Amino acid sequence: MCLAVPHTIETILGENRALAAAGAVRTEIRTDLVENVVPGDTVLVHAGFAIEKLSPEDSEELKGLWDELRALAGDPYAR
Amino acid sequence: MMEVCGTHTVSVFRSGIRTILPPTLRLVSGPGCPVCVTGQGEIEAALSLLDRGAVVAAYGDMFKVPCEGGSLASKRTRGLDARVVTSAMETLTIAVENPDREVVFLGVGFETTAPATAALVAEAARRSVPNLSVLSFHKRTPPAVELLAADPDLRLSGFLLPGHVCVILGHDPFRFLPEKYGLPGVIAGFEPEQILLGLAEIVRQHEQGAPALRSVYGTAVKREGNPKALGLLEEVFEHRDATWRGIGTIPDSGLALRRKYESFDAEKRFALSLRPGTPPAGCRCGEVLTGKIIPPECPLFRSACTPLSPVGPCMVSGEGTCGAYFRFFKGDRS
Amino acid sequence: MNDTTITLGHGSGGRQSADLVSRLLESFRKRGIGPELEDAALLPGGYAMTMDGFTVSPRRFPGGDIGHLCVCGCANDLAVRGASPDFLGLSLVLEEGISPEEVAFYMESAASTCAGIGMTLAAGDTKVVPAGAVEGMLITGCAFGRIRSPRTLSMAEIREGDALLVTTSIGRHGAAIASARFSLPVEGLLSDCAPLWPALSPLLRLDGLRCMRDCTRGGLGTVLCEWAEASGLHFFLDEDSIPVSFQVKSLCDVLGFDPLYMACEGCAALAVAPSDAEEALRILRQSPLCGDAALIGRVSSAEPKGMVSMRTSIGGERLVDMPWGEILPRIC
Repeated sequence: MCLAVPHTIETILGENRALAAAGAVRTEIRTDLVENVVPGDTVLVHAGFAIEKLSPEDSEELKGLWDELRALAGDPYAR
Repeated sequence: MMEVCGTHTVSVFRSGIRTILPPTLRLVSGPGCPVCVTGQGEIEAALSLLDRGAVVAAYGDMFKVPCEGGSLASKRTRGLDARVVTSAMETLTIAVENPDREVVFLGVGFETTAPATAALVAEAARRSVPNLSVLSFHKRTPPAVELLAADPDLRLSGFLLPGHVCVILGHDPFRFLPEKYGLPGVIAGFEPEQILLGLAEIVRQHEQGAPALRSVYGTAVKREGNPKALGLLEEVFEHRDATWRGIGTIPDSGLALRRKYESFDAEKRFALSLRPGTPPAGCRCGEVLTGKIIPPECPLFRSACTPLSPVGPCMVSGEGTCGAYFRFFKGDRS
Repeated sequence: MNDTTITLGHGSGGRQSADLVSRLLESFRKRGIGPELEDAALLPGGYAMTMDGFTVSPRRFPGGDIGHLCVCGCANDLAVRGASPDFLGLSLVLEEGISPEEVAFYMESAASTCAGIGMTLAAGDTKVVPAGAVEGMLITGCAFGRIRSPRTLSMAEIREGDALLVTTSIGRHGAAIASARFSLPVEGLLSDCAPLWPALSPLLRLDGLRCMRDCTRGGLGTVLCEWAEASGLHFFLDEDSIPVSFQVKSLCDVLGFDPLYMACEGCAALAVAPSDAEEALRILRQSPLCGDAALIGRVSSAEPKGMVSMRTSIGGERLVDMPWGEILPRIC
């Protein structure tokens, strides 16, 4: 039960409500579960609620993990 | 290795990941589909409220799930007021717009989804909305995972943990995996590449004899989880025993509304008593859900039990192991 | 078919719909007076005929309305069997209380679409029913057209080795409707509802054109499953080759839908001999409607026969089955 889609916050509409965009979709989301979101933030949205803020460092971290894996794969006797 | 999230199950099947894994690796699906493990009695309770004239709002995933009395979809066909919502909060709007109707939200899902229900209840309490209530059939993931980790018949090498559940819970609730059972617990995302990354990390830990709780899902998963969501869960819900359809009762694995919010508890408001379901003859869902057999090993699979006429919980939802296998698995269709 | 009542699932265009249609046609088939299962019937005398009913809600959607939709739906059913859209009959069933201006608007739209493709309204009927008997209005079209194709286009012609093509990006109509129904505005998302005859007619001279099909309810996935089942062959698709627009992908991501099953109304699937595939694509891409036409798979005699499977983006393989019942948003 975990379909969640990254959304970019466009406008804060009021307490716990914001207008956000996911790709070409624009939708109102709830922000009850996250702190201090501002326009421009990227959040993960599940069932209409932002559940966490996403950071631009994410793609860096994932790249790092893949690099770690490739290094391991290149050395089959890694211990 | 076992994954325990319906969304992982679907992503694995839809991307055909099993067809590119080496033969030395076996990935089984566990009880990750909360729709599938919602008890028959729980669905009947929701249907009985429809019969009593209430509006029942639920996520689309729940609509076609059948029990002996039918399903939300079949009740809607007969003119009863079952509505699909894509956010729990829509239910509040329905309640406010229909002050003379009882409006009930069917809360199903694990810890990714439960905070939204908690927010709904908190908001309804803040605004004193008298005609809104919630059927809370939310379940907790860690007790089910521990049940499987402790099962001597399953010889698992590690668990792929649900990324979004861990966005909420953080790492700690799953630390028992390496610490108590010596098993890798790897938190992964849902894109095929992210799942592969998670599986590779399990293999790495296994090869190096160094089981650990580790996230490969990026910054969204923090060690401490989401404090605001956890706070809301703590405020609104308490733990209780829960029955998982096909498996049985898992202690402490359910979320019920606290006494403080009992006026929003539909079970209390409508004095509902939930009937335990009877497993249908020949159904082997319990073994599928706990990863002991794969769907084709069940004699009902694809004969008596299909997505249009599901016998057991694994087939009821497209996200269940049997439903996903039926729709996506190419292997044995000759 | 065991169902005791008709449900919305039966109208969704997937497995349940196919079962329902089979049951309803039994009486005709067993008397030898039953229809083929293609989009349009080829009648003796050189004409093709088709019927299509429309209940779309909302009646106006981004990129079209029920009037335009009805004409396109009927005209496209003819076009994919190689018949020009010549004549149309329209039946309107109106709910008491609907505004005449609204109905006139749809007629204006339908007429404009007809004029654009040389189609003439030859017959019509209007009924008014009590409030509640229908939701607003139902419109049914019955279309006739001269068969222009020198050979019979039908799924019986599909052979091992054939190329599978799609004329444009998929699912735009279904996504546009879902966007309106679930109040999720999507910038740049318009229904693909359009008449395909101008784009498809130049293909008729290709000797290797086997068959074409208008995608409609149940989307591309359903058409390919029906073709595979009827031909007893295996269809193998390449996921990365299937054109899906950014708008459709965004909407499907948010609602948990699969673009393969989203309705289209201006998108056709084609089976073409491998030697004609490149030329077919070149011809299609000359039309402004089919600039993103693509080769998406091949027909083979591999197992499992009668089914569709796909090479996924990650390099794995999986089945593509028909959708089961009504397609609903998921959060799981």
